[in-house]
Amino acid sequence: MSTLAVMRLEWRRLFVRPLGWVLAALTLAELAWRFVLLLGNFLGMQVRLAALPSGPGFTDLVGVPLLSSLLTGGFIPFGFTELALIVVPLLAMSTLAGERSNGTLPLLFGTGQSAASIVLGKYFALMAWLLLWLALTLAMPLSLAHVAHLDWGKLAAATLGMVLLLAALAAIGVACSDFASHPAIAATAGILLVLALCSVQLGAQSAGVNNNLIDWLALPSHLEPLLRGLVSSADIVWFALLTVLALALAVRRVAAEKERD
Amino acid sequence: MIAPTTGSPPILQLERVSRRRGGRPAVRELGLSLAGGQVLGLLGVNGAGKSTTLSMIAGALQPDSGTIRLDGLDFAEHPELARQRLGWLPERAPLWPELTAGEHLDAHGRLRGLHGAALRQARERVVERLELQPLLRRLASALSQGQRQRLGLACALLHGPALLVLDEPGNALDPVQVAALRALIREQADAGTAVILSTHLLAEVTAVCNRVAILHEGVLHHDGPVAADGHAALERRFFDIAMAGGAQAA
Repeated sequence: MSTLAVMRLEWRRLFVRPLGWVLAALTLAELAWRFVLLLGNFLGMQVRLAALPSGPGFTDLVGVPLLSSLLTGGFIPFGFTELALIVVPLLAMSTLAGERSNGTLPLLFGTGQSAASIVLGKYFALMAWLLLWLALTLAMPLSLAHVAHLDWGKLAAATLGMVLLLAALAAIGVACSDFASHPAIAATAGILLVLALCSVQLGAQSAGVNNNLIDWLALPSHLEPLLRGLVSSADIVWFALLTVLALALAVRRVAAEKERD
Repeated sequence: MIAPTTGSPPILQLERVSRRRGGRPAVRELGLSLAGGQVLGLLGVNGAGKSTTLSMIAGALQPDSGTIRLDGLDFAEHPELARQRLGWLPERAPLWPELTAGEHLDAHGRLRGLHGAALRQARERVVERLELQPLLRRLASALSQGQRQRLGLACALLHGPALLVLDEPGNALDPVQVAALRALIREQADAGTAVILSTHLLAEVTAVCNRVAILHEGVLHHDGPVAADGHAALERRFFDIAMAGGAQAA
């Protein structure tokens, strides 16, 4: 119950701050632009696609590319994944660093909240906002479900990939906010960390290093199969591990706040 | 001044509580106990360890050693006791700037486990008692320091705590508000609430407390009833302790 109370408080704070609304408006407008471009491209290819017996469909050329540029390349305009790498750390930056700078973190302890309920309450509120953002993005391809043939299985796998990605990014964002003294530092650290997770593989490849561990560490190695419609428990476990590790570190750090000198 | 309550079991007990802050001992081997209906004034110069003591009692800081008991239970093992039994107004009344005064009351109520009709009734009670009606829709960032203190106090009182911890509650209040605050503290004590009040204003202690504890450099130098001769005796004792400590430090 106390986690729910913290979650409601954090949700309310997210809801009344302009940052969330501005980010939602800008990113959804950008995603709508990407959707229109992808749709125009898809419609322009109709004749060629009709000649292919098992050519790519609406989901391959519009639905999944709207969520990520990983499979299609051509990053601009950004897909949902690329935007999430920036948006999530920005939204998460104030969760705990903001409490610390307001002086309200001790107040939460004073109401008998445990470190776990503080961290989890904030995390779940952030996840609720992010899932709403994902739902509004998915509404774009789904709005054409009655006229286009959707590959529901592939779209469900890609959606699962997005949910896991958001869960991991939100956990990293909350942990960074917990370790930073100021929200701006938390946002910078969060963005750098997730960019490092995304590019570790590319860096190694360009240096001529081909290492399984580096491949395993890289976020795209686990997201790409899900975007292709391949759900593997190894990828789900990777995201779950990352999420749990980040949240566990955040809980430990908040608990240590009471013991700080 | 309120008549001291004797004989009732202590709500709060501190046993040899110590805490270091900023590399130096902020509180050393502190022992205190407080029963329902008592109002304890915690006096001390700046840096004496008052806020550290209150933060530990409120559960926001962990003691390095020693035990804090609330209703006879070890607070470190039962931090959830704070939810129902304790109300805390920290120094400068920290608030969430983006929330209104009404949203603060709702949030604090829910954090304390109040919901539905119980939350509504508790909210109405403190809003009426602290005259917060005109402030309910105002953002916390737009409140004056005095209004912030009143809102912070309302949040601390919302759930009817058995122990009320007030850290310099009179700061930034005008004389009328100070008088209202004193009346409120007396009212709480009469209802059986134990109140611990940190201040460096001697007049505050003689006006509202029935017990006084004087901290200096983290050490408890005096703990006893407020003397019948009131302000003058307390002032003498306070300066003796503060000056002796200062001379020792020199």
